[in-house]
Amino acid sequence: MKQIILLSLLIISVLIAKSQSNNLPPVDKSPMDMCYYPNNYPVLKIQDKATEPLVARVIYSRPQKNGRLIFGELVEYGKVWRLGANEATEIEFFRNVKIGDKKVEKGRYTLYAIPAEDNWTIVLNKDNDTWGAFKYDEQKDVLRTAVPVQKLNEGVEALAMTFEKSDSGCNLIIAWDNIKASLPISLK
Amino acid sequence: MIKPASVFLSCILFASCTNTREKSSDQTEKKSDTAVVHTPPANPYAPIDISPMDMSYFPVNYSQQRMTHDMATPPVMRVIYSRPHRQGRSIFGDLLKYGERWRLGANEASEIEFFQNVTIQDKKVNAGRYIIYCIPFQDKWTIILNNDLYTWGLKIDSTKDLMQFDIPVKKTSVDFEYFTMVFQPITNGAQLVMAWDDTEGRLPINF
Repeated sequence: MKQIILLSLLIISVLIAKSQSNNLPPVDKSPMDMCYYPNNYPVLKIQDKATEPLVARVIYSRPQKNGRLIFGELVEYGKVWRLGANEATEIEFFRNVKIGDKKVEKGRYTLYAIPAEDNWTIVLNKDNDTWGAFKYDEQKDVLRTAVPVQKLNEGVEALAMTFEKSDSGCNLIIAWDNIKASLPISLK
Repeated sequence: MIKPASVFLSCILFASCTNTREKSSDQTEKKSDTAVVHTPPANPYAPIDISPMDMSYFPVNYSQQRMTHDMATPPVMRVIYSRPHRQGRSIFGDLLKYGERWRLGANEASEIEFFQNVTIQDKKVNAGRYIIYCIPFQDKWTIILNNDLYTWGLKIDSTKDLMQFDIPVKKTSVDFEYFTMVFQPITNGAQLVMAWDDTEGRLPINF
């Protein structure tokens, strides 16, 4: 038995040493992604098909559902949720916009949500370059706005964000598991 | 006693499986150690990229460090890039032709942002956001900062090049399956390490 233990420890330490032999960052389990309004702006741009200037982009990481129950469970109702993974989710406006009748100056913001069963409160906060919601500071909120959520028939495995055009500008669509929220952004 | 024994046994089994796998791929071909690419499930809103995006800050892990430390100063810089993987291909001089532009990533053009003025090879670089790309040669890389922001890496407008820097390249001691960019501290600043396959370049940035 002792020999097995020693042998196991030896093998485990070799494996650990191997996995640490290169101290540069591994690929994240929740990969980062970017979305734009207009959607796919960089691709449109190189094809000379961009008809509107760049308005917004979101940088977020994409956790996977992995069989877990998400809303009300992994993501608790009534608590600040980082709307992503790893680095805090960032939204940048390249021009002034309006969200829920409030003017938002062009610039970078950290984006959070406080989910409840039938609506989410979307939070824009000016404490950038942070990690998740672990150091969330309400004092640095720029705005909070409640948006309704919609149940989806088909589940979404990886957290997804995209923009869609609306009459007044665009909506930021946030979807994960069986829930979809939509944040209206006015460009008028 | 049964429980710990089975744990150890499974450790050994796991270890031996891993070893066998590595050995067999070593034997077939040097560069066939590529991780299996899983096709992510369909996503009606935004599919998951094969080459995932990533972000590196200086100070290293700035945002992560804020969980446990009060960072006295804002970050100096960050790079946002996508990480293609080798997938058994030969990279330098083959997939990436010497003397031709390489986007230092995949998908969106790679972006570097300096949150303060910095100096690279005695040239002042103003705080701001830039596209970064490379022209690799066998013995050096030319690193270029460009003003054509928010573009796709396959088509960077070189008339918007701002400055360029030649850096030496060297062989790495380990192979990099995924293209990797990260900052490392040096005297008077930090260097941007760019590594893929068996090659890396380092761009010293002073501040």
